[in-house]
Amino acid sequence: MNARRPWLAGGALGLVLALPWTREAMESSMWRHMLLQFPAWLLAGALLAAALPPRMRAGVTRWNAHGIAGLVAVAVTLAVLMVPRVLDLALRRPDIEAAKLAALLLAGVALRLSWRPAGLVVQFFFLGNLLPMMVVVGQLYIDSPLRLCNAYLLDDQARLGAWLIGGAATLGAAWLAWTGWVLAGRQMPPAPAGMTAQNPPR
Amino acid sequence: MWRTALLSLLLLLGGWGAASWLTHDFQVWTDEGARRLEVALRPLPTPPVGVDGPGVVAATLPGLLAGGGVTIADFIYTDCRSTCLTLGSSFQQLQAALQADRAAGAPATVRLLSISFDGARDDPVALRDYARRLNADPALWRFVRVPQAAQQQALLDRLGVVVVPDGRGDYEHNAALLVFDGQGRMVRVFDIEERQLALDYARHLARQQAPGAAS
Repeated sequence: MNARRPWLAGGALGLVLALPWTREAMESSMWRHMLLQFPAWLLAGALLAAALPPRMRAGVTRWNAHGIAGLVAVAVTLAVLMVPRVLDLALRRPDIEAAKLAALLLAGVALRLSWRPAGLVVQFFFLGNLLPMMVVVGQLYIDSPLRLCNAYLLDDQARLGAWLIGGAATLGAAWLAWTGWVLAGRQMPPAPAGMTAQNPPR
Repeated sequence: MWRTALLSLLLLLGGWGAASWLTHDFQVWTDEGARRLEVALRPLPTPPVGVDGPGVVAATLPGLLAGGGVTIADFIYTDCRSTCLTLGSSFQQLQAALQADRAAGAPATVRLLSISFDGARDDPVALRDYARRLNADPALWRFVRVPQAAQQQALLDRLGVVVVPDGRGDYEHNAALLVFDGQGRMVRVFDIEERQLALDYARHLARQQAPGAAS
């Protein structure tokens, strides 16, 4: 059972990320808050998803044909969490902080369970929504003459904006390269264990 | 497939609901915007923190604000070299307008108050020197600090003032014009740029509050 190891790693990562010290360090600047903490919790969720037994995965798949529901969940979560008010609220309200981190963890799980079943078309649609959103938000952060978060400085906000755009470009290029690789037929995307992606049960 | 469609729809509705709550029905996107909206909807009582300052006899902030009339307040620190200078000149122009009101015979019902958020450094002597530098008229414009650090933090938290050290010895803060009514409640938050609006609103409020005034 090699599935047990990523589960342990995900759990350990989640615990470390939940420590007050880690959260404080990651939330001490705006770019770390969004570009380190968000992906780290997504990763923890994705690793934890490996712990789901095949039967439960099959159950999930009935509600997640072609990974559509899961990717909708991820896109919605990230869209809501890009509202600047979330960052300020998370700093001063523990309930919002907990909800934010739980949403990111679950989005990580959903991403892991949905990415391969999604196939190239749904993946393209998902990224086609997410990446432009990152670019628009990033450009807003760069252009705003006002601080959008009371807790963070203006230059921090501009740096986050630039890196959001850079991140979107990198993700887009990486996906294109991977897709090109797949389409060239030199490598098939490996099917996930315990399920067949092509014919999800209805 | 219908299950997936249903779940996706529910997720979208959930996201819509969360975003709608977060942005007060898509009116505001920042915490500062939400703060201003919430204050306008629900006036915010001032916590009873102790204050001192040059020529100030009231022991607490609510006591000082309840001294009659409407108060336009801001948060400052005397060592400031950036935003507070803008605020300083903004307040100087407000003072000039209020002095003109007084010269025209109108009762002085709107007053100015600068509250320091650097209570450890800004003792009454520092505040007096700062007031002199700004040519503050003591009858119209007062300066206070909250000497106790815990009370100062409580006040900042209650009023939604966030102070961030900028790493170069200065502080960045959500500087604004805060309007308090005669009962010491914060009723509106205006942008520094909205000086005239804040003044007109304060005058209007003072007229409404004046005993026996026909409004």
